[in-house]
Amino acid sequence: MSEVVLEDVTKQFDSTLAVDGVSINIDDGEVMGIVGPSGCGKTTALRLVAGFETATEGTIRYDGEDVTHVPPENRNVGLVFQSYALFNNMSVLKNITFGPKMHGVGKAERRDRAHDLLELLDIEELADRNPKTLSGGQQQRVGLARALAIEPHILLLDEPMTGLDAKLKQTLRQELGQLLEELGVTTLYVTHDQEQAMSMCDRIAVMNDGHLEQIGTPAEIYEQPANEFVAGFIGTANLLDATIRDGRVSLGFAEMDAPGAANAAGSATVMVRPDDIRIGDSSGDAAAVVDVEVTNLFYQGDTIQATGRLPDGQTVTLSLDRSLTGVTTGDSLSVGFDPAAVHVINSA
Amino acid sequence: MADRFESGSLSARFGRSFVTLVLALTLLFLAFPVVMTFVSSFASDWFGVLPTGFVTVGNWQDVIFGTGVGADVAVGSSLAYSTGLALGGVVINLIVGVPIAYAVARYDFWGQDWVNVFAILPLAPGIILGIAFLRTYPDLSTSGIALVIGYSLLKAPYMVMAVQSSFQSMDLQQIEESARSLGASWPRTFLTVIVPNARTGIIAGSIISWTLAAAEFNFSYIVYSRGTPPLAIFLFNNITNASFLNAAAAVSVFFLLIALVTITLQIIGNRGSVRRV
Repeated sequence: MSEVVLEDVTKQFDSTLAVDGVSINIDDGEVMGIVGPSGCGKTTALRLVAGFETATEGTIRYDGEDVTHVPPENRNVGLVFQSYALFNNMSVLKNITFGPKMHGVGKAERRDRAHDLLELLDIEELADRNPKTLSGGQQQRVGLARALAIEPHILLLDEPMTGLDAKLKQTLRQELGQLLEELGVTTLYVTHDQEQAMSMCDRIAVMNDGHLEQIGTPAEIYEQPANEFVAGFIGTANLLDATIRDGRVSLGFAEMDAPGAANAAGSATVMVRPDDIRIGDSSGDAAAVVDVEVTNLFYQGDTIQATGRLPDGQTVTLSLDRSLTGVTTGDSLSVGFDPAAVHVINSA
Repeated sequence: MADRFESGSLSARFGRSFVTLVLALTLLFLAFPVVMTFVSSFASDWFGVLPTGFVTVGNWQDVIFGTGVGADVAVGSSLAYSTGLALGGVVINLIVGVPIAYAVARYDFWGQDWVNVFAILPLAPGIILGIAFLRTYPDLSTSGIALVIGYSLLKAPYMVMAVQSSFQSMDLQQIEESARSLGASWPRTFLTVIVPNARTGIIAGSIISWTLAAAEFNFSYIVYSRGTPPLAIFLFNNITNASFLNAAAAVSVFFLLIALVTITLQIIGNRGSVRRV
């Protein structure tokens, strides 16, 4: 396990700037997520760390050692792809011992290592099976065991759960999170699924259009997004026009103290998460209470997502609990905003 | 969706029994000459509708031991010679065709489409290529080398297409990158992971190109001049210079050889599917 550092890394493909001056410091044993929409450069960043792409500018270091121009076979990175890319010409056991064999590990030791990993991942009975006969979840475990067998500097996971069904994804997410914590392996986890990243990663880097928008813990990213893009990409966000003056924020239909806006002034955009907005009876003691006309309802099982119109015409997304299943389109709901829930993300 | 296909199928329109009968008759029509040729090779006469005088191995003896009829040589030497020549063609196709198929399936490069077109299009009919060889390399043309090169050129498309199809069915980039991230160099990745994963296509390509090369007549007829005749020439001599029953035995030898090679390669292919550490 190692500390892995990307220093001002840029990757240009012809006229396309895929990664633009990205700096990320992944601590030893840390699970770092990179999230962003398709084409944002997150997979290119992973390929730069793996050595399958060479940075146009900048440096990549493992434990202080510059590996920017080191070929992938000499970097000692464990890689798990979305397709798992298992070798169907070999048994599961041979897939797992392949890496140690390439690293010159003796036969007895590589077998021991493989059996330890099979046991750890609870797939001992699959040792002699052909990978193509396994289910998606089993293949994912084998892919993980194969990547861990070389005791990598860093484990690189490239959308490893994308092809799985929701239930299995949830189970594997818990297992994988627990495993990574247990092993303390430095991990870079690339995904477009922000929910997975939030639940599994110690920190998350949000990328957009080749550059880094924000890096922080899941809570920081969710509660204090650096800009509108991050606010919109991570979770559901209400972005409202506001004016800030003397440490108070005016939303047009309501005014309150804004703890995060002491140094800001003028027009601004504020973010309020739907689950931070008080609704119905609980809105009474909020700092600002206003009536919202419900315009749409989306039943989601555990909650109901509603969109509504504020008195000034702006649209707001609300998260209703199941006690409010009687609400229908056109109803008026009383909603309350608290200063702590209003985060100023952009001011003029 | 399945229902739509079902309702538009031949079985739905004409009835399953009718379609099965037509298919069976077609198959019988195609297989009947082969079966009759094989059966008649054990007959002593065929003057009427069906061969008579079963069972004799005399025709096979004539062919196998070269008893002065037909090609005037034993099938063994021609068979061994052609087997070797066709095998040489297959080896060249494996060495050149597999990397070409891999490059076209795996990478984007300038001229990729042209490489693909030249690799999978049969460049010239055997007779044309044979004449070109004679004119261009008159000294080389009388040797087995010309036959090997000609066979490999003529049959390369079958190898390239079969292998390319295997490569296209897998995620080449991710498999290659997985192996390299695990410490394997590119040549080792290619030889120990990529090629074995394309085993089915390689075996299919080898069977097809070997079979067609071993039976290639046009090119062999133009280029062959002296010495042991290639199998196709041997068969031709048997067919033209001997009785039909002798020719039937000669052709049957070839049928058996093809069946033997195909089954052997398939067994080899299946055996390699999972190996233990």
